Amino acid sequence: MRLDAKIPAGPLPQKWDLYRFETKLVNPANKRKYDIIVVGTGLAGASASASLAELGYNVKTFCIQDSPRRAHSIAAQGGINAAKNYPNDGDSVFRLFYDTIKGGDFRAREANVYRLAQVSNAIIDQCVAQGIPFAREYGGLLANRSFGGAQLSRTFYARGQTGQQLLLGAYSALMRQVAAGKVNMFPRREMLDIVVANGQARGIVTRNLVSGEIERHAAHAVLLCTGGYGNVYFLSTNAKACNVTATYRAYKRGAFFANPCFTQIHPTCIPVHGSYQSKLTLMSESLRNDGRVWVPKNAGDKRPPSQIPESERDYFLERKYPSFGNLVPRDVASRNSKEQCDQGKGVGATGLAVYLDFADAITRDGRASIEKKYGNLFQMYDKISGQDPYQTPMMIYPAVHYTMGGLWVDYNLMSTLDGLFVLGEANFSDHGANRLGASALMQGLADGYCVIPYTIGGYLAGSRFEGVGTDHAAFADTERKVRDQIQKLLSVRGKRTVDDFHRQLGLILWDHCGMSRNNAGLEKARTLIQELREEFWKNVLVPGTESDFNQSLEKAGRVADFLEFGELMVIDALARQESCGGHFNEAYQTEENEARRDDANFCHVAAWEFAGDGKDPNFHKEPLVFENVHLSQRSYK
Amino acid sequence: MSTSISLTLKIWRQSNPADKGRFKNYTVKDISTDMSFLEMLDVVNEQLTLAGEEPVAFDHDCREGICGSCGTMVNGRAHGQLKGTTLCQLHMRHFKDGDTIVIEPFRARAFPVIKDLVVDRSAFDRIIQAGGFISVNTGSAPEANTLLVPPHNAEKAMDAAACIGCGGCVAACPNASAMLFVSAKVSQFALLPQGRPEAARRALGMVRSMDTCGFGNCSNHRECEKSCPKEIAIVNIARLNREYVKASFASPES
Amino acid sequence: MNWLTAALGASVGKKLMMALTGLAFTGFLAGHLAGNLTIYGGKAAFNGYAEKLHSLGPLLKVFEVGLIGFAAVHILTGLWLFLQNRKARPVRYTLDTSPGGRTLSSRTMPYTGLIILAFVAFHLTNFTFADKTRTTIFEIVSAAFSSPIYIGIYVAAMIVVGLHVRHGFWSAFQTLGANHPKLMPTISALSVAAGLIVGFGFGLLPIFISLRY
Repeated sequence: MRLDAKIPAGPLPQKWDLYRFETKLVNPANKRKYDIIVVGTGLAGASASASLAELGYNVKTFCIQDSPRRAHSIAAQGGINAAKNYPNDGDSVFRLFYDTIKGGDFRAREANVYRLAQVSNAIIDQCVAQGIPFAREYGGLLANRSFGGAQLSRTFYARGQTGQQLLLGAYSALMRQVAAGKVNMFPRREMLDIVVANGQARGIVTRNLVSGEIERHAAHAVLLCTGGYGNVYFLSTNAKACNVTATYRAYKRGAFFANPCFTQIHPTCIPVHGSYQSKLTLMSESLRNDGRVWVPKNAGDKRPPSQIPESERDYFLERKYPSFGNLVPRDVASRNSKEQCDQGKGVGATGLAVYLDFADAITRDGRASIEKKYGNLFQMYDKISGQDPYQTPMMIYPAVHYTMGGLWVDYNLMSTLDGLFVLGEANFSDHGANRLGASALMQGLADGYCVIPYTIGGYLAGSRFEGVGTDHAAFADTERKVRDQIQKLLSVRGKRTVDDFHRQLGLILWDHCGMSRNNAGLEKARTLIQELREEFWKNVLVPGTESDFNQSLEKAGRVADFLEFGELMVIDALARQESCGGHFNEAYQTEENEARRDDANFCHVAAWEFAGDGKDPNFHKEPLVFENVHLSQRSYK
Repeated sequence: MSTSISLTLKIWRQSNPADKGRFKNYTVKDISTDMSFLEMLDVVNEQLTLAGEEPVAFDHDCREGICGSCGTMVNGRAHGQLKGTTLCQLHMRHFKDGDTIVIEPFRARAFPVIKDLVVDRSAFDRIIQAGGFISVNTGSAPEANTLLVPPHNAEKAMDAAACIGCGGCVAACPNASAMLFVSAKVSQFALLPQGRPEAARRALGMVRSMDTCGFGNCSNHRECEKSCPKEIAIVNIARLNREYVKASFASPES
Repeated sequence: MNWLTAALGASVGKKLMMALTGLAFTGFLAGHLAGNLTIYGGKAAFNGYAEKLHSLGPLLKVFEVGLIGFAAVHILTGLWLFLQNRKARPVRYTLDTSPGGRTLSSRTMPYTGLIILAFVAFHLTNFTFADKTRTTIFEIVSAAFSSPIYIGIYVAAMIVVGLHVRHGFWSAFQTLGANHPKLMPTISALSVAAGLIVGFGFGLLPIFISLRY
């Protein structure tokens, strides 16, 4: 199968316009004849549900939480990018496009990223109209700030809670459509499989997490907006319920998984402090605007930070990257912190942390100004660590944060499975091998508000649909499979808990498929994962029954998928014999220890096709063609 | 610095909404004071699972105080004793060795218990459906900077918008009233020019929906404000009251 | 009038009625207290005040009917709210500790309210509806307050009224929407002051009378 990205013809700036002109439209009266399923209510899912319902489609929306408002987009802190150029500092659609492509280490599709930059301004308009309380200047105009990896101020923000505010905006739009009767909302539901009939995605099978009931839902198209798979590492900044199940089971039904090894390790997280730890907390990247990252110059220096004189501190990011300083992209910042800790210069009890120091900023701008910008973040840090960052530098360490990989989609955001669309973090499309700060919110909302309302019309108008209801054989088959898996999980009755397996899987991946990777480690990880998976199915202990509110069972299903998916990540990492963005293979680095891409051999998207249980997946390649940017070695010196 | 403590937990166990429910005592040892409260519950659950008992069901997700999923009564306080803190942000360093901790679900007629510490807060979604939005279809928004918002108002709107919908206010209120929640959303929009066209409808609709859901009335005890993990203030309730008066007596809405 | 019943029947509407009638009673208390203070001026002053009040004639009747109406609204709405609030939490907490919002005054509002109701009935029977054909109000009052039991009842009742006013006063402003960071500290302080003035202002009178006359 040749992967066709369906990139429209024409010059880059006009592709989206031409596409919309050429795409078939669904007559308003016919829209109500189409049912659309949306799984997930983060920025992508909520905005898509609301927008499609406004157009007149019948939408059924599902979320795993007790309310759609709790999806993990809510935790995004820093901001959302747009090419408004309000500060007059030289921004443009093309520059946002270029920065995103370059930030992604030239592993994203030009046409998609350009469209993202083009629609970015409309997102801000939409969000302001929804009543999102963005930060304002004294005159009442919108304020901007600069954000990791960008040399200009294009980030809109609502204190340190931008994701929360944007999500609540999309959620309120969704609630409006629920009230209007156009969206049927199903909270506390987990999608356990996609139903494919006649080669088209025609529905899903869900588990009602309260009653345990297995439910069938039919539709003309299915949208997966189920976020990323960072929790495969067990410890990540993702919420506890984030998982790969929806996308992974779609993969097993024929959707290709693209670039799964592209994971983003965020540089500014609160360090791990114990084996019982359940998750990691991100400190917004915006902190790097004013905070200075340093370690002691001498390895093994265990003095408290206040006793280390200026001359014995190494502000390593400022030293190595004079023009970007503390604002280098995430992957660069993370790798450098790890490198310092590997050299024994790490601080704190575990030696796995670096300082993020605000002393200079407080002296320069005053405590009140710092408090206004970062008050809630400082408070959060204080709560978790018991230390006051106004008095002593924060300790930070990288943690898994975002996954650039995801289900492969074409320009329409449709996967290789007809009728299955994938939006937001769940797809692979816009961030290449590394995502820039404040771009995830932009992408999630672009997909939901600006892209899918057009592209889904083209699919619906251009496809033929047989009558497939929930009584169709495909539903019965899929449901049986789902039930079998649940029974299998419950019947093992082994001796190790689900979390126990999950932690072990996480460690394997963190050690061998984390911030820096090598072939031997990856090979080892593959074997370890296979062994762990085998043990899981012999020795996992899932208490309770299937017809009950059973959180252990929920987790077990997700970890079962992580155990398979983890191997796919490793396979992908092994196949990509280069370093780029979040994928750093130690064999491919420059003399200055920077990632060395191999554009001759790996300037492509790796898309994996499920070949059956226990079989190696089939590899497909989508070559990336760059006609509008020049492939350069990223340099932030 | 991290130390280990032992605790007696008195946890509410209720297998389903129909079950009467009861407290059960658990003893836990070697709890690191660096753990979060939920991590402590994780430890309990791992032990229960291995001992062949059903783990304690509790809602949680982001574990960084923003999603609003978690929340139980801890020693009679919503989200525990620490000011401006969600349960997931409460750390065990605030407890002492040998403490007994009473863990009970949020209780309100409008928040029926689903299982153990998990309650059904869908009433909040229904309240939002009754007007907690600005009616703007995707695509129809004007240029963002055509609308000037005094930064002071934007800040106040943000103070209110910080609500995470956890239900702690309802749990803490002696009357199980949802006024703080409703007022936060009404205030956010009332303070912004975008929200004014629908202000009257919103205030009336959301208050009525709150009543229909079975929440109690506000007696100005201020327990909500003191318990709110996002420290949302009752000036918002006063603003809701004003909006309600304006809507009832000086607008065409009824 | 559907819009009006809808507006007043909702939770916020009921609270508005409580606030408005409550503030009216606070006004009444202020007037009543001002009148009572004439006792310090002696028998003639007090009787003069009573006569002046009665000379208002129909105006006084209007006022009395108004008070009864307000009382009915305040009491019935208050009971309605109280019952609804109890219903809103069918299962009580086993352990219920306060983060510091509730006050003695706020948590006892329904009970102090009922005590005040009982007291008002007692008070009206004693003084207002007492047969004054052969005596003056001053005689009646000074006779009553020669009994320690009467003094006890009145002083206790005034403490209860003071408590009720202490929460009710600021609460009424909050309910009417008059909460602003600039104003609220003053209103809160006034609320405490109002409680104290009512408690002491009325509460000291029986003691003064029993000592003086």
